[in-house]
This record gives sequence, C-alpha cells and structure tokens, in this order.
Amino acid sequence: MTHAAKRIYIRFVVGGAVVLVSILLLMFSAAAQGKSAHKSRRTSTAKPSTEVRAVNAEEMQALLKRDGKRPLLVNYWATWCDPCRDEFPDLVKIDRDYRAKGLDFIAITLDDLVDIKTAVPKFLLAMNAKMPVYLLNVADPEPAINMVDSNWSGALPATFLYDNTGKVVYKHFGRVNPGELRAAIEQQVGKSQ
Amino acid sequence: MKKLAAISLLIAMLAIALLVNARPLLADIPAPPIIGSTIADFTLPDASGAAHTLASLRGSKGTVLIFIATQCPVSNGYNERMEKLAQDFKARGINVIGINANSTESVADVKDHAAKNNLTFTILKDNGNKVADLLGATRTPEAYFLDASNKLLYHGRIDNSRDITQVNSSELRDALEATLAGKPVAKATANAFGCSIKRGGE
Repeated sequence: MTHAAKRIYIRFVVGGAVVLVSILLLMFSAAAQGKSAHKSRRTSTAKPSTEVRAVNAEEMQALLKRDGKRPLLVNYWATWCDPCRDEFPDLVKIDRDYRAKGLDFIAITLDDLVDIKTAVPKFLLAMNAKMPVYLLNVADPEPAINMVDSNWSGALPATFLYDNTGKVVYKHFGRVNPGELRAAIEQQVGKSQ
Repeated sequence: MKKLAAISLLIAMLAIALLVNARPLLADIPAPPIIGSTIADFTLPDASGAAHTLASLRGSKGTVLIFIATQCPVSNGYNERMEKLAQDFKARGINVIGINANSTESVADVKDHAAKNNLTFTILKDNGNKVADLLGATRTPEAYFLDASNKLLYHGRIDNSRDITQVNSSELRDALEATLAGKPVAKATANAFGCSIKRGGE
C-alpha cells in the first residue's frame, strides 16, 4: 500500500468507527430518554410531598429496614443547610428518574419541629419534591447519628444508599455528585425485580 | 471530510461532557486523630492576617479549638455559649480558639461576624483546610479539647442541642471541668448535627 492509500484507509476506518459509535450513542440516549419520559408520565400525577411526619430515632430506624425488594436512598438535610438546598433539585430529579425503576427514596430533615408545617413544606413545594419526607425529632441526636453510621459526624447533608437487604452500598457526606450517585443507583435498581 | 470533522467534533463534545459529568472522586477527608494522640503544632493567620501558632495560643491547662462558621445557623446558635465558655475558662488556664475553615467565608466575613456577635476569642482562618484536615473536622460547630501538652482529650459537639433551652448534656464543658479537677474525661466523643465545612476546591 502506498503512503497516501494507507492514510485514506486509516481515515476510512477511523471515520467509520466514529460514525458507528455516534449512531450507537444516539440510539442509546434516545432509548433512555423515551424510557424516562414514559416513567415520569406514570409518576407525574403524584402531589408534592408537603405532608412531613415527625419521627423519633426508633421510628427512623424502622424506615431504613429493607425486605429484599427495593434499594433505598436516604438524604439527611435541613432548610437551614445551604449545600442541602443546593443539591435538592438533583435529588428530586433522581427520585423522578429512578422511583419507577425500583428505587425507594426518603428525605429526613433535621429542621426544628416548629418548622414542620411552615419552612419545610414550603421548601418541598418549591422543589416539587415527591419523595416521602420525615422530620427527625430527638432531644439528643447522637444515638440516631451513630445508628446510621459510626463514621458520620452529623455534618449535613449526608446521603446513604442501601441495597435491597439494607446494607449501605454508597454514602456521601456533603453535597452529592449526581453522576456518581446515579452510577451507584444504577448498580442497585432492577437487581431483584 | 467536512462531515467526518463535524461528527468527530460531536464525539469530542460528547466525550468532554461525559468526562465533566464523571468528575473524579473527591479525596476523602482524613479521619480525626484518636483520643489520646498528640496534636502537632500548626500556624494559621487570624482575621487581621497576623500568624499564630498553636503553641503561642494555648492555655497553661489546655486549649479548646472550635470550628465555626459565619453562615451556619447551628454554629451561630452557639455564639453566646462559645463566648461564655471562653470567658469562663480563660482565668482557669484554658484558652478557646475559633477556626473558620469555610472557603466560602472570607476574612472580612469572619471579622464582621466576630464583631457583630461579640466574639472576643481569637478566630483563625484556615483557608487551605490545613488544620481541618489535620483534625479531621467535618462540621460546624465541632470542638477539640487538648490538654496542656496538646493531647486530645475530647472531640465532638459542644452540647446536645443548638436550642439552649433543650440542653441537658454539656460534654465539652464536662471534659474541661474533669481535666481541671484532675479526673479523666467521662465522655471523650459525642456527635450532633451541624453544617458541613465547605473545604476549598469542592
């Protein structure tokens, strides 16, 4: 093969590969979009979660229990916590994208009990949040923090992903990286269904 | 060729988008030193820019380091209690030092905040999270009590509630009192909810 022919040949192969990969990517993203559009239609009738229930540490522990069916995402937050507010839209999107795929998601606020009918639902309504929200109402927060994770200092926000048996498979302290969290969720949804 | 270039560009853009989305994992925050370990000396500037070493700030009987914030409502809920702690223990040989390690809060913010809230104890600015990393600090407020030889005796919350009317256990104060009385610290760690320290580069 001459040098020029070789160059044309390489261009042809590289070009072909590039076209193939782009077609595959387009097909994949179209399929993913169609899928999520279909799912979100099914859940879009749900009302925003403005009913917030106060729970104590034992009730919270019961909420974290799994029965082998669905993985669970838990986000600890508060309206007074800036990074919590910043990440909340990402979490609302994750809830919308994965609930129908088999993910349970609860948000647990550390706001004061006096805010349970005011600041908390107001924020959830503004976020169009639809996951169940609970307010942890405890005089001493330490047993609850240690029950969730002995390595957690109590810094907010904190996010935990449990597999369908209740084992922590992903955790993040501070503002979540949505891509990283989604990747962890992808590994869990659909495992048992 | 133009088509190929356009498609290549598209692919390159897609690749970049994917790479940006998959940001590398943030380096984990170092674990806090275990109770009983000795804290190495460090140097940090205060809000006026003057450098201080731990050795120059420590009290004859011990030192309390508290990571604080100007914006965090939990930390702010403790302003009066922190100032009172500093006042109560100064004459008894224990110095209280505040450390602001939030990259989102400037030196000017720290100065204003201290003036508005009548915080008279020294507040250091830990811009590169040097000391926050040294101590494995993650939230505000978060306290460390070191004895006269910089041995860590207590690490954790100031007390159980940011609402002063709900306080029924004051672990930090108890640790100071025990140490001054020559007794061991009964509870060397305790947690509470607080604001994440906003480290630089996050």
